[in-house]
Amino acid sequence: MRFHRTTALILIGGLALVGCKKKDTGATDTSGAMSTEAPVTQTTQTTVETTPANVPFKVTGIDLGTGVGSDKKITGATTTFGPKDTIYVSVATDGSAPAAKVKARWTYGSNNKLVNENEVTINPTGPTYTEFHISQDKGLPAGNYKVEIFTDGSSAGTKDFEVKK
Amino acid sequence: MANNEEDPDFSGVKSGASSTAPISQPAVQTYTVEAGDSLSKIAKRHYGDANEWRRIYEANRDLIEDPDEIFPGQTLKIPSA
Repeated sequence: MRFHRTTALILIGGLALVGCKKKDTGATDTSGAMSTEAPVTQTTQTTVETTPANVPFKVTGIDLGTGVGSDKKITGATTTFGPKDTIYVSVATDGSAPAAKVKARWTYGSNNKLVNENEVTINPTGPTYTEFHISQDKGLPAGNYKVEIFTDGSSAGTKDFEVKK
Repeated sequence: MANNEEDPDFSGVKSGASSTAPISQPAVQTYTVEAGDSLSKIAKRHYGDANEWRRIYEANRDLIEDPDEIFPGQTLKIPSA
C-alpha cells in the first residue's frame, strides 16, 4: 500500500509538472502571435490629398500682348509693339501663399537699362493671372526690350520683345 | 538695334498691375539698387530732381537706417511722382 501511495503521488506530481510546462509553452506562443500582429498595424496607409492649399506657389506661364481681358489673360499676343502701345505681360501662377510678391522688371537694350519695376503682393489660393503693363505718352524708344518676372525675389523667367517705329 | 539706345528716355513711363488673386499690397513702383547708386541719383532718375531723395527715404524707412547707406540688391519703393 505504501508503494502504491508513493507511486500515485509521484505520478500526480509528474502530471502537474507536465501540465505547467504545456501552459508555459502556450503562453510563449501567444506572445509570439501578438508580436507578429504589431507590424500590420504600423503599415496602415496614410492618404495625402493634393489640394490648392498645399501646392507651392510657382509661375506656370509668361505671355506678352497689347491687352488683357477681365481674366487678366493676354489678348492680342505679340512680341512686337508700336512706340505708343501699352505693353502687357500676363503672369500665370499656381499654388497658394499668404503673401506672394510678384515683380516685373522691364529693361532696355543690350545694357539692360532699367525702364520700370513694379511689384504687387497677392494672396493666391490656386491658379491665378497677374498682369503688369507699361506705356509712355511720348512713345517708347524703338529697340529691344526684356521683361523679367520675379516671385519673392527670385527670377521666374524672362520674355524679350521689340518696339518698332 | 535702335540708334538712341545709348540715351533712351524713360522719364514718362507709366506702369500698373492687377491680378485675379486678392491683392494684399497694391502695386507699387520699385527700384532695385545697383552698385554706385545713391538716393539722390535714384530721385534724379525717377523724378528728374535729385533733391526729391527724401521722398524715397521716407517711403523706405523700414529698409534704410542711414540715407547715405543703401546697398546693391535692396528693393526700394518709389512713391508716385
